[in-house]
Amino acid sequence: AMAGGLEPHLEALRRELRASDPAVISVLLALLVVAITLLIWRFVQGRRSSRKAVLLLGLCDAGKTLLFARLLTGKYRDTQTSITDSSAVYRVSTEKSAHVTLIDLPGHESLRLQFLERFKAAARAIVFVVDSVAFQREVKDVAEFLYQVLVDGTVLKNAPPLLIACNKQDVTMAKSAKLIQQQLEKELNTLRVTRSAAPTSLDGSAMGGPAQLGKKGKDFDFSQLPMKVEFLECSARGSKGEEGDADFEGLEKWLAKIA
Amino acid sequence: ERGGNNSFTHEALTLKYKLDNQFELVFVVGFQKILTLTYVDKLIDDVHKEFRDKYRNEFQQKGTLGLLNGTFDFKDDFMRLLRDAEESSKVRAPTVMKTFEQSLKSQKTVKCMIETRGDKPKEKVKNKKKGSKKEGTEAVVATGKASTGDKQPSAAGDREELTKDEILQKNREEFFKRHMKAGEKSSKSPKPEAQKEKGKKPRVWDLGNSNAKVLDYSNSATNGSTEACPVEEFDPNTALGDRNREPGRLYDLEYESDDEAEEEKVIQNPSKPSAKKGGLGGMFGMLKGLVGSKSLTREDMDPVLEKMKDHLIAKNVAAEIAVQLCESVAKKLEGKVMGTFTTVTSTVKQALQEALVQILQPQRCVDVLRDVMDAQRHRRPYVVTFCGVNGVGKSTNLAKISFWLIENGFSVLIAACDTFRAGAVEQLRTHTRRLNALHPPERHGGRTMVQLYEKGYGKDAAGIAMEAISYARNQGFDVVLVDTAGRMQDNAPLMTALAKLIAVNAPDLVLFVGEALVGNEAVDQLVKFNKALADHSMAQTPRLIDGIVLTKFDTIDDKVGAAISMTYITSKPIVFVGTGQTYCDLRSLNAKAVVAALMKA
Repeated sequence: AMAGGLEPHLEALRRELRASDPAVISVLLALLVVAITLLIWRFVQGRRSSRKAVLLLGLCDAGKTLLFARLLTGKYRDTQTSITDSSAVYRVSTEKSAHVTLIDLPGHESLRLQFLERFKAAARAIVFVVDSVAFQREVKDVAEFLYQVLVDGTVLKNAPPLLIACNKQDVTMAKSAKLIQQQLEKELNTLRVTRSAAPTSLDGSAMGGPAQLGKKGKDFDFSQLPMKVEFLECSARGSKGEEGDADFEGLEKWLAKIA
Repeated sequence: ERGGNNSFTHEALTLKYKLDNQFELVFVVGFQKILTLTYVDKLIDDVHKEFRDKYRNEFQQKGTLGLLNGTFDFKDDFMRLLRDAEESSKVRAPTVMKTFEQSLKSQKTVKCMIETRGDKPKEKVKNKKKGSKKEGTEAVVATGKASTGDKQPSAAGDREELTKDEILQKNREEFFKRHMKAGEKSSKSPKPEAQKEKGKKPRVWDLGNSNAKVLDYSNSATNGSTEACPVEEFDPNTALGDRNREPGRLYDLEYESDDEAEEEKVIQNPSKPSAKKGGLGGMFGMLKGLVGSKSLTREDMDPVLEKMKDHLIAKNVAAEIAVQLCESVAKKLEGKVMGTFTTVTSTVKQALQEALVQILQPQRCVDVLRDVMDAQRHRRPYVVTFCGVNGVGKSTNLAKISFWLIENGFSVLIAACDTFRAGAVEQLRTHTRRLNALHPPERHGGRTMVQLYEKGYGKDAAGIAMEAISYARNQGFDVVLVDTAGRMQDNAPLMTALAKLIAVNAPDLVLFVGEALVGNEAVDQLVKFNKALADHSMAQTPRLIDGIVLTKFDTIDDKVGAAISMTYITSKPIVFVGTGQTYCDLRSLNAKAVVAALMKA
């Protein structure tokens, strides 16, 4: 009965189409094609997520720009304090097809937030570079910046994997990754209390979030974060100085995993 | 965001820089401050042009990788340009002053140099006189005494460079011309007293010889006599004004908005036609700009920047700051290549917005609680000092901040160092009592959370502060909040006293309390406060203002420009925002919200 019901309808449709102007048909067909193309295109875009960037963040003089140069060219370069971002495509050495866009952002206090705003949505992964030699002095500043990165709404939503690269390991006084991790956890523990207790912001939204880092009641731990966090030791300058290569196989392996 | 000026001084060096926004390059030239090199600007322009032309390919094609891999061997070119610039500046040797004999003046007679008003200059007698200095000076004096000689003779005469004497003479003539014109109204005849050539004549002032009597225009003996003011001139009706008003009552200020609206309209009208013209041109420019990439020029940006500057000033940003901001945005965008489908307006607005956000989020975020915890660990109290002009809300906001600190579990000692204003100590005592009622000791393990340290009125504020801090250290208070008296920034002795208080007690945080209603005054206040603190401090690095408390924020709707002015001047963050008179009306600044309110049309 259903088929019987459909048949006359199809017949009617066919008759209609044959009767009507061919121009109309062609217009309708064209529109259909365009619509389908748009759908496919958007689908493809969304799939190959627009997040292809790996951000290099950190305080001033942490070694981000040198790390960037070493990863891309393998050579040592004299660097200056960055005042703008630099980006380039990095091809993973093991597989030729995998590539990511490395973006080196300035670490200066007056610029870092502005550039983070611009690029955080495109971040597939974040490399936070820490100066292991000056760490003892800069603990509070490092933790403050890391806190700002971690409580950011976009970062929390996307939860890109985070690598904390403890740079400048070629110097003898450099702190180990384990120590840096412990210190950061302690400092972030304090920070999340003080920041959430700060007076609420002007338009009602609290600064530093109802985004509570980690679990309440327990001491802060990097494992409580929604994203994967790893600690790594590396040296952009390398043990042999400017002539030799940089010591960052761990970093390259991690980038290969990300790509 | 001080991109407006292109030079920067640091210790003994001066740095001049130039931006190339198209390829994102910065050229910096550094030289010693004491040298004044005239060729620096030209050098930097030449270097810019040459570098850009030489490596244009690398910039355009390869992007970052090109920059990393490319070798930029510019040293030889730079040395050559430097040598050229140095040589070009040496070419013009300093001119040697002519001797008196060489000048034309020695060849003139004295007679022809005497100028009488209206007379044509006589022919210069080219007598080669024995040019004695005395004659020369006498001639100068003579011309000076004469009445207004016009500039014509001296200008027509010497075509060569004027010697110093000539310039002096010319200036004297001008001065006397002005002076004489004011004095003599009737007499047109010149006074050629200067005809006497021998000896020095006493200078005769026109009105000087006359009697004092002649100069006295007052009517004799009018003091106290009633005939002085003729009766018919005094009309009681008009003098007293509105007869219907109640005697003795003070009426409110009548707000006439119509006049102001009219004024605005009048001002608007002349600017409208220019805006219209700009609008038409802008429309075509917009169409042109929509397709393809075009680089921004100054002319494109100027109308937009003007509008933005007026908009900012209307939003209560200090005028000079608005100007500097627009300058720096212009410098940053000049020559930049716009993408497709972006208009000039949108680019400029975007850049301005970024600049404003950056201004409001300066260097270090002041986290008071964190620093208090640090001080707690070292077993010393954390000292905060509040300073500002009269009536901005120091005591009120001090109470709000102490409430906030108590809520977070820190004990507070309030030091009443305002020993001048009547009722200041009582006000703080009332606050203390209320706060203790809100947070009784039982809730906090038997500790009184707030205490007031006061020594009455009329005492030295710095001394009270010092005693309060040591009292706090002994009793184990976590925070000391020091309230100072309000003072005008121009009042030198009071500013010295404040600077002394801060220098002697070395507080951890110096907060400047400013109200959001202030306009251009904010700039002056902050500059003078900082200067006073810097001048009177003995230390190498003086303690300046560390943070700003912006009060009375609820009284301004969206005219939030004062926040920008204050942070621009000091580069220090706004730590607290006061939005009312109750204890809960304490907020922190949200930069994006403030900028959004600022940019809203």
